[in-house]
Order: sequence, then C-alpha cells, then structure tokens
Amino acid sequence: MIRNLLALDGVLVVCHFRDDGALLEGYGMMDDAMLERLARFAHDYKRMVQGNTDQFSMFTGLPGWAPPRGWNVRGAQHTVCSVGNLVCFIDNTEASLNEVMRELTEASQY
Amino acid sequence: MSSLDNLIGLEGASAAFEFSQSGELTDHRVAEGSDLTAETLDLLAHVFVANIAIATMQARGWEKTTGQGGFYPIQGFTLVGFEWSTVGNGRRGVVLRNDVADFEAAYAALEG
Amino acid sequence: MSVYSELAVMEGVIAAGEYAYRGDRYHFKGQLSDEMARMASIMCRATTMSTHMQSDILCANSDNCPFEEAHGWIVRGPQFSVCVMANIFCFVQNEPGVLNRVFRWMRERLMDAHEMV
Repeated sequence: MIRNLLALDGVLVVCHFRDDGALLEGYGMMDDAMLERLARFAHDYKRMVQGNTDQFSMFTGLPGWAPPRGWNVRGAQHTVCSVGNLVCFIDNTEASLNEVMRELTEASQY
Repeated sequence: MSSLDNLIGLEGASAAFEFSQSGELTDHRVAEGSDLTAETLDLLAHVFVANIAIATMQARGWEKTTGQGGFYPIQGFTLVGFEWSTVGNGRRGVVLRNDVADFEAAYAALEG
Repeated sequence: MSVYSELAVMEGVIAAGEYAYRGDRYHFKGQLSDEMARMASIMCRATTMSTHMQSDILCANSDNCPFEEAHGWIVRGPQFSVCVMANIFCFVQNEPGVLNRVFRWMRERLMDAHEMV
C-alpha cells in the first residue's frame, strides 16, 4: 500500500519502520542497506522529536503539541519527511512538501 | 601557546579541535598514534553545537519553570563513549580517554 | 541500596535519580521537589535518546569512530552540572573535584549497563 506514495511527484523512497527501528518495508531508489539506515534514522529522529516536543509542552504548558505527529528536515536538494512510522525521501525541485506530508498523514492511519 | 595546544596537552587527549558557530571544523590537532580524522572531528563539532543548543533550551525552560538558576548559560557538553569521551563548548572540543579523563581540567582549558 | 541512592549521598551531589527509558516512571533522592525530579527525568531521557541517535549517525558515517555507543553525557552550567550514565542522572555542584569523582564512580558502576539499571 505505501508503495503508492512513490507515484507522487518527487518521492524517491518510502519506508515503513517498526517501533524498534527495524525496516518493515521499503521501496524506491535505494538499496536494502540504505533503506535499513533510513528506517533507523527516521525511528531515532522520531524519538528525538518526541523528547523535544515533550519538553516544549512541559515548559510552556501549551496544549496541542504532544505527541508530535511527524517532522521533516529540509536540505538543499532533498527533504526527509515522516509521519507516524512512515518516512519519505523526496527531491525538493519536483515534490510538493505539502502534498507529501498530507499523503503520509493519510497513509500512516491505514 | 594556542588554546588547542593546551587542550591536546591534557592527559589522555587524542585530539583537540576548533569550530565555527555552526559547527564547521576550522582547526585541529591530533595526537601521535590517534586515528581520528578531520571528518570525524567535524561531526563531533556539530554534535557540540546541537547539544549545547538543546541544553540551552532545557536550561531556559528549567530556570523559568522551577526558579532555580545555575545552568544558564550552558558552558559545555560531554559525550561519554565506552573508552573515549569528548568534552566541548561552543567553540572548541577535546577527545579524552575515559580512564584518565579530568573533566574539570578540560572545562577549565576550554574557557582559556 | 540503589545506585541513585548511593549517588545522592556523595559529597557535592544535589540530587540523583533514575528514569525509565519508556513511560513516565522515575525515582530520586536529594534536594529536588517531586515535580522538578519528574521534569529532570523527561529532560534527561530526551537528551539520552538524542545522544544515542547522534552516536549511531556519527559511527555510520565515519571510520574509526570512538563513540560506537553513547554511554552517557554531561552538561555544565555556571553553578551546576548534570551527569548522566545509562538511565541514572545526578545534579552536582561545580566544586573542585566533585564532577571527576562522581563521573569516575558512575563509570565504574554503570559503564557496562547497556540498557537499564
């Protein structure tokens, strides 16, 4: 099912990872070793974002931030975006970040 | 004697390095026999910049929420590995062997 | 006696505690309120998770990486330092000798603890 995300413009890779960071399934322009590394990175980054969001909520008392739904990190040519336990690697010139985040949110609820 | 020479002179030091505010390596010394590379030190420099930024957020939040001062401004961060630790502030860092590491001397040397 | 209880009575230690890697459980001893200890646990867990991720990335991307696994970290402020190893944290005064003594003790007791104490 997540393979459908590759049909979006500019989506180069999509992965589904387990709560322990292991790769469940991954598709796109990366070999298996790189898919596993992307899954591990996304899992670690997710936990780090969770930790920082918990602290932000704790210090400010503001509702609506924790638990975080997702994150993205934008580089010059590529962006890594994640919602839930899904992560995509996209090309900035071809992909619509809004569309990818929206589709990831939907797919993460399957 | 430069501050990097002071740092590399600490007991058990295998590298000393200097970096920009955004974490790019600008200068370094590696002790004889160490296989640390400039690329690794550049990554460690970014580790310092990232962790000092997070620790600053924590210190600000802690002081505002609890009223207890004494953590801000953050003066340094140490990452402890199994055999090695790296001690740094926002400008410089040093890699030390854990069994002989003197963290207090390292923090004092970093301020110099 | 638990590790954090032993730490809490060392000279120069303000408070020490342990936190669960998952969930909200924590225990502590020393001069912190219960709410401060809860907050300290959340902060220490977040930084520990972050250093684990950083050492993973560091070693995946460099040869001869000296930080194969992050065992702990220290943050130093003007008056106090926080010292963490495995899932044990302690707040210490920046007085001469304290940080080195506490770190040495924690290293001896906790360096081989891969997950939780």
